[in-house]
Amino acid sequence: MSTVTQDHQAAPPSALSQRRPLGDRSFQTLALAAGLLVLVILVLIAVSTSQQASSWFSHEGTKIFSKTWNPAAGQFGALSFIYGTAITALIAIVLSVPVSLGIALLLTEVVPRRWSRPIVSVIDLLAVVPSVVWGLWGILVFAPWIQHIYASIGSGVTGVPVLGPLFGAPTSGASFFTAGIILAFMITPIITSLSREVIATVPSIDREGAYALGATRLEMIRGVVMPHSQGGIVGAVLLGLGRAMGETIAVALVIGASATITPHLFAPGYNMPSVIANEFGEATGVFRAGLMGLGVLLFVFTIILNVVARWIVARSARRGRGA
Amino acid sequence: MAAVSTGQPKADLREPASWRRTKNRITTVLMVLSLVVVIIPLGFVLYTVIAKGASAISWSFLTSSIPPSVLPVGIGGIGPAVVGTLEITGLATVMAVPLGILGAIYLNEYGGRGPLARFIGVMADVMTGVPSIVMGLFIYSIWVLHFGYSGLAGAFALGALMLPIVIRSTDEMLRLVPDSLREGSYALGATKARVTLTVVLPAAVGGIVSGALLAVARAAGETAPLLFTILAVTSVNTNVFSGPNTSLPSQIFANASSPYVGAQGRGWGAALTLIAIAFILMIVARVITARFAKYTR
Amino acid sequence: MRYPHVHRVTAVAVTIGVTALSLAACSSPAKPGPGSSSQLSGTLNASGSTFQLTFQQAAIQTFKSVQPSITVNYGGGGSGKGRTDLSSGTVGFAGSDSPIPSDEMSNFKGKTVLYFPVIIGPITVSYNLSGHTSLKMTPTVIADIFQGKITKWNDPAIAQINPGAKLPSTPITIARRSDSSGTTANFSLFLQDAVPSVWKLGSSSTINWPASSRGGDGNGGVAQIIKSTPGAIGYVDYADAKASGLTYASVQNAAGDYIAPSVAGATAAAQQATVASNLTFAAVWAHNSSTAYPITYQSWDLVFAKQSSKKTADLLKAYLGYLLGNGQQLLTSLSYAPLPANIDAKAKAQLSKITS
Repeated sequence: MSTVTQDHQAAPPSALSQRRPLGDRSFQTLALAAGLLVLVILVLIAVSTSQQASSWFSHEGTKIFSKTWNPAAGQFGALSFIYGTAITALIAIVLSVPVSLGIALLLTEVVPRRWSRPIVSVIDLLAVVPSVVWGLWGILVFAPWIQHIYASIGSGVTGVPVLGPLFGAPTSGASFFTAGIILAFMITPIITSLSREVIATVPSIDREGAYALGATRLEMIRGVVMPHSQGGIVGAVLLGLGRAMGETIAVALVIGASATITPHLFAPGYNMPSVIANEFGEATGVFRAGLMGLGVLLFVFTIILNVVARWIVARSARRGRGA
Repeated sequence: MAAVSTGQPKADLREPASWRRTKNRITTVLMVLSLVVVIIPLGFVLYTVIAKGASAISWSFLTSSIPPSVLPVGIGGIGPAVVGTLEITGLATVMAVPLGILGAIYLNEYGGRGPLARFIGVMADVMTGVPSIVMGLFIYSIWVLHFGYSGLAGAFALGALMLPIVIRSTDEMLRLVPDSLREGSYALGATKARVTLTVVLPAAVGGIVSGALLAVARAAGETAPLLFTILAVTSVNTNVFSGPNTSLPSQIFANASSPYVGAQGRGWGAALTLIAIAFILMIVARVITARFAKYTR
Repeated sequence: MRYPHVHRVTAVAVTIGVTALSLAACSSPAKPGPGSSSQLSGTLNASGSTFQLTFQQAAIQTFKSVQPSITVNYGGGGSGKGRTDLSSGTVGFAGSDSPIPSDEMSNFKGKTVLYFPVIIGPITVSYNLSGHTSLKMTPTVIADIFQGKITKWNDPAIAQINPGAKLPSTPITIARRSDSSGTTANFSLFLQDAVPSVWKLGSSSTINWPASSRGGDGNGGVAQIIKSTPGAIGYVDYADAKASGLTYASVQNAAGDYIAPSVAGATAAAQQATVASNLTFAAVWAHNSSTAYPITYQSWDLVFAKQSSKKTADLLKAYLGYLLGNGQQLLTSLSYAPLPANIDAKAKAQLSKITS
């Protein structure tokens, strides 16, 4: 998202080109076609997947949002997967946003220029780890290890009013919470780098003004950086949320594959992308259409999130420049 | 404000009150802590992958065929997966990078501030957020159902994933090329296509190539788009256009659910290979940006 | 030439493109050996039952020395996936641990499917409880555990049949299949046959398991859950359980004896099965044998009777014939039970029904 907006519409002098050469015109058509390809693909995605999912929509009608997903009995209500998607993404955001903002602020306000390169490299390295490697590590190393922590917490809070239902026993290493943690690792680079870009647009004048008035760094951040960047940061968080909702493989390996709606975060769960990944291969008929339908829902949710996020960022960038 | 030397304690008026200072310090500590919180799992993952994968890696591991899961590490390897990843990602790159560059050229050179170009720009950004599994379902619906599983279908899915990334990074690079270059060429009588191809692109080529390499690194590590398009098999398929295929991420995914130590060990080895590939691509991209990119932010 | 620069660039680009594409597309098919007319060549794709997976992987390797130019791919994925792939024409044969259920019959559009039984084996009730290596289970207790009615290891019902074992209060974690599975179908069939008044979840490739249970992908996935989770219990086929080093329970059979899973127990059970004319049968809950292991099951390779080409028909006959012939000798070393002789003979005779 560059803030440079040059307009490269300088045209060749008209005396030389009453009619532009064929090569020039066909190149322009080619470039236009490539650009339109983006729109074509998006439309095709929407159309083809919805068409494949149509038998699910007609079979279930409004019951597509019911709680029961039981292929053996021909019931395909999607609510438990929507719930799982929302919960894991929420856990990821709650864990990741403070950390990402902390790092972004560290890079822009605290650390001298010389040191920012290695830190940015660390963040890039975090971003380059493929999802499947997170999943492999997650299920073979992380989940068995964290199961012990869950078990201690679980035995400690069982029976306590609010914490009990959330964190009580029985606990499972492969659960909503573990998936949320792994997702948090995966979306931190995105939120960090986007926040950094937004925070970097704060005018130095405002920063220096705050310091000149005797503000500490924290006060400067709260008084100058945050008001200026909050729109952009919200946008960055929404983009991270979208990514967390769509992340498939790492979640499929560590979420525990149990379609249930429960506040119990240490219990095995399921979400939309992982059920599609796990069960698509063997599904037929309405079952397959149902999984396609989950894909359609996922597509729609993430498109909406992305559009809203970019609108918020653009709007706050416009405001910031105007100020 | 000069300190008045009347015996008053110095620094009173210039230092913030101690409570404000403490809050400030706590915040700084928290910020550093958040960096630490991120470095620890990253280090843990990399350490585990290297420790468990290094013992599996060898030239024969990278070229031998995939053995039954039960067999221990040391027998067989992941050769077909390496071949598959190279073929499928290569084909996806060949399709997505030129189209992405052309798309960015449209956005930057021809479309300008027109409504269509702005709409396409927004949609390209939005498309980077489409989950990779949806790309897989999409290619399954329009291609696999009619033409069967193949490396080509997988390449389509990966290419669709790479396209918006390449468009976006190329677009940024093209914006950075100063207008003076373009205007000078026009002044010499060149057509727009010629200017773009012979002046603007070469000026931005460093950044464009490094952006493309990062897109390739991302695509090489993707599993979800390949799930329903290549039908992961365990034998090598050198024909990327027909017949099921496999890839490193697909193999790792399969081995991650295996109870056999041998299969898990091969999974770690494949994970190390995959991270090494992505890492090398990232380093090469950085080097190209540092040494060859004429215009950077 | 007016634009030599452009022509040069185009030429280079085209050359690179063509080279890359042709490198990607170049295939090197295996050439058949010289002077051997019975040597076939080609690729056979299959998927399905993970119960068969270990056997298939081993057989594919040894088959290469019989027919070096035939490549067989067995993808696993569960019995449900196999049947789906077969009905959509993606594979040449499918491994399935149960006959095609009635709600899937419409996918096969009236085409005749042949069932070739290839292996027999026990389903173990494997668990992870340190210090307890020889627990006994009755069908009632198993049913209550897997329905979530028994939630701790020191439940009186378990203690009663295991006197002397000091069971801990560890909570029980149920490990079951997340994919559509013939192992699930046969395990639930066993519970339905043995204790129909206790087992309420029916018998099918997918079951509505209790919400706190964990799903694994394939027999291997369930084995992995059990192995890594103290207090876990699940159903895994014997070959995978043994190769993963799991501990399994001795189960009470119809005659009242507690039998540990073994090749001999499976063979005894299979011999009691009634075989239908299309070679389907069910080996679970065998009656009239005191040595039979009660949760024994079988797996078939499903093939369309009418193939689209003679070549595919020949490949299928060659490979399936091998599985029914010399391939059976691989079974005991892999912890499966070979087919009883009469079933094997009937299956071999059925090979001639594959036509093109």
